[in-house]
Amino acid sequence: MIEFKEAAVVATETGVPILHPTTLSLDEQRITIIGANGSGKSTFARLINGLALPVSGSVRVDGLDTRKHGALVRRKVGFLFTDPSAQLIMPTALEDIMLSLRRVIRSKNERVNAALAALEDIGLGGKGDVSVNALSGGQRQLLALAGVLTATPLVVVADEPTTLLDLRWKAHVGALLQALPIQLIEVTHDLEAATKAQRTLVIDEGSVVFDGTPVDAVAHYRDLMYRKTKETRS
Amino acid sequence: MKPTLGSYRAGASPLHRLPAWSKVLVLFVWAVVTMIITDPVTALGLCAAALLLLISILPAPKPTLKGLVFILLVAAATASYQVYRGYVAAGIDIAADLVGLFALSLAVTGSTSMSDMLDFTSRIARPFRRILPPTIPGLMFAIMLRTIPEISRIMRESRDAARARGIRRNMTALMIPTATRTVGFALDLGAALHARGIGDEATSDAPPNRRVSLAAPARTD
Repeated sequence: MIEFKEAAVVATETGVPILHPTTLSLDEQRITIIGANGSGKSTFARLINGLALPVSGSVRVDGLDTRKHGALVRRKVGFLFTDPSAQLIMPTALEDIMLSLRRVIRSKNERVNAALAALEDIGLGGKGDVSVNALSGGQRQLLALAGVLTATPLVVVADEPTTLLDLRWKAHVGALLQALPIQLIEVTHDLEAATKAQRTLVIDEGSVVFDGTPVDAVAHYRDLMYRKTKETRS
Repeated sequence: MKPTLGSYRAGASPLHRLPAWSKVLVLFVWAVVTMIITDPVTALGLCAAALLLLISILPAPKPTLKGLVFILLVAAATASYQVYRGYVAAGIDIAADLVGLFALSLAVTGSTSMSDMLDFTSRIARPFRRILPPTIPGLMFAIMLRTIPEISRIMRESRDAARARGIRRNMTALMIPTATRTVGFALDLGAALHARGIGDEATSDAPPNRRVSLAAPARTD
């Protein structure tokens, strides 16, 4: 369903490659992506919904090229950011969900009801009129997820969605993501969460260096990081 | 923390029930009328009426009082200047106009939700849709409101970071990180708008009408 064909990304100012030409297809329902800071995994994730575009090659979602059909692709691919603060646009929780629904539901009353239902579904019932600034980090991430889901995507790409959360919220948001009835591609530093997938990619220095089962991928990643640490020290 | 700028609070007062356009219209007409009428007694009467309207929506007490104190100080300063010049009636009129308009604008923003305001601004922007997609002005306004508390957070964090490194009362150490991080926030917000497909309606075709809930599978393939 998601196809990378020789897709490559280069930093515009410096010409430094961020992602070397990559060809693969992502079909599994649960895919995790791990890698060091600055390895290119966020860029890889952003290629899927067209937030980043390849300088050469192509990325297709459901047969649609991200370069030609960006808006349509983004309707199919929901994106969850690390910091929910930047993802929430409207001043209150209810209004933020309603903003996602503006395009889909014309009638205002229906929109209010759908937004209230979405808040209830995600466990933020009764928080509709609360300012997004007054929500906790975990609640904000839930709200951001609710906003993504109301746009009815076929795939959710989550870029380190639990990095800023405490243990309790990490478990909660992690479980909600796992329960999604749609395809989930999660970039994570949480190696335990990374194993809750059918397939895991390890990205290093702009290349997919391992692609396989989560347990093997985590072992590969640990080994890679161990070797790099040793190189730095010596 | 202050709920939202404009401090909208859900409620069932008569002002809450009025549509957004009528409230904005009243505010506009009120502004014009208070500017035309220079009689201090009428001005005081209108000011009192505006204050009563503000009380009728039961606004959040703290930010409202803070705002009122501020405008009272401004009004007092303006009035005393007029009185000093010998125009007592004009002083009272200007002060009452200022306080009244401020109270009424608080009453309007406090009783109108952001989405109602958005619908309203989209509607008045409709005639200009060839130049500007109708949803854009309202969205710009909402983003502005949303960004203010974020900028103050970034500023607080930058100040703390400077203090932690022993730098105090240094504008450069405060403003440069605040400015660069605000740009960073704006870029993130832009990416999020893009990711959520907001603003796409101007360029793309009819939407799908599906719904994904946490319980029911939505995929058919």
